Amino acid sequence: MTSYGLKQRLSSVAVYIFLGVMAFLSIFPFLWMIIGATNTTSDIIKGKMSFGEALVVNATTFFTQVDAPLIFWNSAKITIIATVLTLLISSLAGYGFEIFASRFREKLYTLMLLTLMIPFAALMIPLFMLMKQFGLINTHLAVVLPTVASAFIIFYFRQSTKAFPHELRDAARVDGLKEWQIFFLIYMPVMRSTYAAAFIIVFMTAWNSYLWPLIVLQSNDMKTITLVISSLGSAYYPDYGAVMIGTVLATIPTLFVFFAMQRQFVEGMLGSVK
Amino acid sequence: MSDVTLRDVRKSFGVVEIIKGVDLDIKSGEFVVFVGPSGCGKSTLLRMIAGLETITAGELDIGGNRMNEVDPSQRGIAMVFQSYALYPHMTVRENMGFALRFAGLPKAEIRKQVDEAARILELEPLMDRKPKALSGGQRQRVAIGRAIVRHPKVFLFDEPLSNLDAELRVHMRIEIAKLHRDLGATIIYVTHDQVEAMTLADKIVVLRSGIVEQVGAPLELYDNPANLFVAGFIGSPKMNFLKGVVEGGGAGRADIRLPDFGGAVVPVALKGEAPAAGAPVTLGIRPSQFTESGDAALPVTVDMMEHLGAETLIYARSSASDLVTIASQSRPDIRLGDTLTARFPSSGALLFGADGKRIY
Ligand SMILES: Nc1ncnc2c1ncn2[C@@H]1O[C@H](COP(=O)(O)OP(=O)(O)OP(=O)(O)O)[C@@H](O)[C@H]1O
Ligand SMILES: [Mg+2]
Repeated sequence: MTSYGLKQRLSSVAVYIFLGVMAFLSIFPFLWMIIGATNTTSDIIKGKMSFGEALVVNATTFFTQVDAPLIFWNSAKITIIATVLTLLISSLAGYGFEIFASRFREKLYTLMLLTLMIPFAALMIPLFMLMKQFGLINTHLAVVLPTVASAFIIFYFRQSTKAFPHELRDAARVDGLKEWQIFFLIYMPVMRSTYAAAFIIVFMTAWNSYLWPLIVLQSNDMKTITLVISSLGSAYYPDYGAVMIGTVLATIPTLFVFFAMQRQFVEGMLGSVK
Repeated sequence: MSDVTLRDVRKSFGVVEIIKGVDLDIKSGEFVVFVGPSGCGKSTLLRMIAGLETITAGELDIGGNRMNEVDPSQRGIAMVFQSYALYPHMTVRENMGFALRFAGLPKAEIRKQVDEAARILELEPLMDRKPKALSGGQRQRVAIGRAIVRHPKVFLFDEPLSNLDAELRVHMRIEIAKLHRDLGATIIYVTHDQVEAMTLADKIVVLRSGIVEQVGAPLELYDNPANLFVAGFIGSPKMNFLKGVVEGGGAGRADIRLPDFGGAVVPVALKGEAPAAGAPVTLGIRPSQFTESGDAALPVTVDMMEHLGAETLIYARSSASDLVTIASQSRPDIRLGDTLTARFPSSGALLFGADGKRIY
């Protein structure tokens, strides 16, 4: 074997080792969560890494302590409304920023991107006061509203719109479409993989969001699954088995969304229009 | 009636004026081609006629009605784009029927129109495919089909063939000519391609920097260019321009001395008076005008040769290093570095003044 061949072999071995380690690091928490769901709290604390027999007990505890249908419904409602509104509003903004020239466009855009640098912790209190003034504390609307104009998603849509052919707009105008029809009938379907990728990102963020809902949702019947799981885990005698069951259940929708849209997600990240 | 009339039409982007006052009369059924160097405003002018760009000043009439403020879809035009601009998420049939659906035509009527266009363009087997699954030539035909179904008064084409390979381009060129003959519609067509312009046009409009340099039938522009720009732009290989000085002459004739060619003197036929002696002029001779029997003679040295089969292009230099292109129908027995005497009939030479305008 030539030294060149040997070198290549070695480097591909190194690549596989690296990928293996990374894969393990990302899969391990999932594994631990699933194993934990079948073990008692004391086994989990001891660090037991094999499946146990406590699955039914844990599930019973979880479902007696938590009004699961209501909590999942809260999460689902917030997530769906937030996702639809964010995609609609942020894609409209991104499209507008890219398509329509104006004297203030770039300044406005830069200003918007700068807001990405403000940490949420700095916004929390003013945002809370704002919501209080509107009388929205302890409503789901308060959770949704601050997220619908997402600077990041606007940025993502503007970048993707650069690949949207201008001549398609021209063709549509000659065919008699108004601006809003061009957006809904041409732009949206053409950019569907961009929407799919954005959908996954927004959906996961909304479903997993914790801090802001924790602040504005105060009564138990309004809370989302992430809040409830965390309150289970921070009880005086936390039942980690039940927490793990809740976590597993909470992970299912995101996994489902991701696997259902995986192909479009990859396409969307690479660019919609080819 | 589908005449198109432009009256002192102007377009500015911000402070930059791109179209600087264009007057144009296009008769119903005419095939008009816009040519000109890149960036001269051909597309902009076409898009203004389509209604995709606003008109800064002037007036645009189509079929006798002012169109400046009319929506693109109401102008009675259809446009074929360079990138075809087919809707990628729709099938060929949906693409072609889209405008009609939008105009509120009944389904059966749309189907009839689309089928008719598909038949003309031989698209029937492709109707249920998406654009992605079509070749370039097929996409082009769908784009034309989408225009046809609207029965426009005026077809607008913006470099429709420039994304096709050479062979397909020739084929589509013939198709478009046939289409024009069959439909009898007015066509305005933008192209870079000399041959497309010469073969398709009833009338060529030569643009430069937003100004119309000359309008005329292809052969008229070829034989009688109004200025140096048009003379150099129309015809391939390009016309030779030789620097000269008026030596003498009178009514109907000017004697032009060519200092770069050993002071050869060429008598050029004119309709009017010769310019004053000593005036600097430019002599224009097409490469194909050189012949053995010509009365004017230029001593040159052969620099380069291209054998194209049907003709041979000889690139030669004068003693002052001016380049002259000679197209020969025969296959002359000469070598690089040979000196020869290039002859042309002085009656065929064109004369241009120092301002670039033709001297008749
Ligand atoms: N939206 C616009 N804003 C500013 N300038 C523009 C705009 N559209 C075109 N221009 C300018 O107008 C000029 C003419 O452009 P146009 O596209 O009409 O040229 P063209 O003759 O079609 O060229 P080509 O042969 O390369 O297609 C160019 O200098 C271009 O930069
Ligand atoms: Mg152009």
